[in-house]
Amino acid sequence: MEENLPMGEKKLSCADVSKCFQLLESILDGENVPNSQAMLQEKLAKCEPCFKHFHLEQAIREVLKNKCTKHCVPNELIANIREKIQEIK
Amino acid sequence: MSEVQRKKYSEQEKNHVFDKEFMPHIDSMYNFAFRLTFDEDDAKDLVQDTYLKAYRFINSFEQGTNAKAWLFRILKNSFINDYRRKSKQPAKVDYQEVETYYNSDDVDYTSTTDLRVDAVKDMLGDEISNALNSLAVDFRTVIILADLEGFTYEEMAKILDIPIGTVRSRLHRARNLLKDQLRSYAKTMGYNTEDEEE
Repeated sequence: MEENLPMGEKKLSCADVSKCFQLLESILDGENVPNSQAMLQEKLAKCEPCFKHFHLEQAIREVLKNKCTKHCVPNELIANIREKIQEIK
Repeated sequence: MSEVQRKKYSEQEKNHVFDKEFMPHIDSMYNFAFRLTFDEDDAKDLVQDTYLKAYRFINSFEQGTNAKAWLFRILKNSFINDYRRKSKQPAKVDYQEVETYYNSDDVDYTSTTDLRVDAVKDMLGDEISNALNSLAVDFRTVIILADLEGFTYEEMAKILDIPIGTVRSRLHRARNLLKDQLRSYAKTMGYNTEDEEE
């Protein structure tokens, strides 16, 4: 599927962007993709658009996961829930 | 996730399931509710309603199965059925409308984004949050479920009552919209968003 290129050189255009990007996104989303590690290494080593897309998508997932502002649960909420549950018991 | 009643829990078992399987997810539930409603009181009501429903229908929850996904599904349905109906504010985009407008599996993957990885990594939490909050509720929801809460496509399909293919395509579109927002932040931060290699 991939062309044979000298070491260190990457293709500047991807022959099947839809299929490749969808695959990369599934891998990043932790889906069970058969043979994913080998396939990933090959694509990232050989295809520049795949390499860029993967790293941008990865960065976006990381900032969403680690930086998104979290809201603290208001103190009274848990007490209120428990109180209401007592009422319907 | 079946609504079929399996067996009746004793009072003691109910309390155990509620405390050990439902309550540990309250932080995630509140954050989800807050990101849907953008209002502390509405978020509290939504979470409280969800937990009361969870208690009322506890017999349809099978112990040891995915409590978090089960609770998120109840919260999402409560939001659509109760909160949105009561709310005078119309939703930005309706779920059905979105699915009709975009044919679910036909996604454009030719993402030629000029957003740079280092610009994304330098974003502040508030900028990321604001970008996320600017998305229509259906797109916001899939990103929250996937990236903030770590649900799988299959779990998301169950929570949202949509096919897995639709989860995948909606998520892809949502991230593209998010990238548009981040790109405009990157510009205001003074990052060169042009591809420097060209």
